[in-house]
Amino acid sequence: MKSQIRTIADLDRVIHEPGRLMIAALLFAVEQADFLYLLHETGMNKGTLSSHISRLEEAGYVEVTKTYRGKVPQTLLRLTGAGRKAFTQYRRKLKEAL
Amino acid sequence: MDEVGKLLDRPKQYYNIDGLGELGCGILSLGYGLFMWLEMHSPATAIWHKISIFILLGLVMVIHYGTKALKTHVTYPRTGFVEYRKDARLRNLIIGGALGGLTSLTLALSVSHHWDISTLLLLFGPVFAIGYGYAIARAVRWKWVIAAAFALTSVVIAFLPTDFLAILANDSPAAHPVRARIGGTMLISLLTYGALFIVSGGISFWHYLRHTEPAALENL
Repeated sequence: MKSQIRTIADLDRVIHEPGRLMIAALLFAVEQADFLYLLHETGMNKGTLSSHISRLEEAGYVEVTKTYRGKVPQTLLRLTGAGRKAFTQYRRKLKEAL
Repeated sequence: MDEVGKLLDRPKQYYNIDGLGELGCGILSLGYGLFMWLEMHSPATAIWHKISIFILLGLVMVIHYGTKALKTHVTYPRTGFVEYRKDARLRNLIIGGALGGLTSLTLALSVSHHWDISTLLLLFGPVFAIGYGYAIARAVRWKWVIAAAFALTSVVIAFLPTDFLAILANDSPAAHPVRARIGGTMLISLLTYGALFIVSGGISFWHYLRHTEPAALENL
């Protein structure tokens, strides 16, 4: 029981927040996706999504690239190596704890 | 499957959110089926027999680039862009190639060795329906009707008389019973499966266009 509690306390808090967990899981399954896709899939508003992405970017888990698709601006997001590792560890720890 | 597992699965289902994946499969099946009919019903010296591989490749290219163009101009501005992982794409390509190769080899061997593969053909539909259900109908419930139609179609085709299938394949049921049966079965399967894919993909595309609109610039 004690070890389970310790495992829960060890969970990565950056990823553990539900909004960021959603973003990390969606990006984990793909090479990269744009802001609009995440907006559509998560159902969050633009401000909330942006702040979660900024938090993940600060932690070095997400890489953000501003580009253009033709003449239309596009924000591409991908999970970094550290982000993939953190997400995999988070899932493993969560399974152990439950 | 846990909630995180479901989230990890979402991008896979996104590929067919607009029905374009199914429309591509439908155009390929129907197009190749119609071309096969043309080949079967034209003299052995007709040009169709010499260019069949080029027609198939051309059709695949048109579908590939057509889907890409539609995704770029319709889907990405509405619900966003996703680039899939290279290892997943390679795995799908290998599985698809292996299944296609195995099917072609089985059909070629059954024609040359006069095997009766009616039972195998009967099983093909339900197996295909399960695959379709897992890949597509899981995300969109009404598509289980299409999955059931795939299974039912193969059962109906498996019970069609050889004479009827031979007429479709323009073959002699007396001289080449197995070849006539396989030819007719392949032809009618490609046509009906293609039509089902087009109906299902068409409804999804129409529904997608009706319920989405290009995103505002500030959301990009």
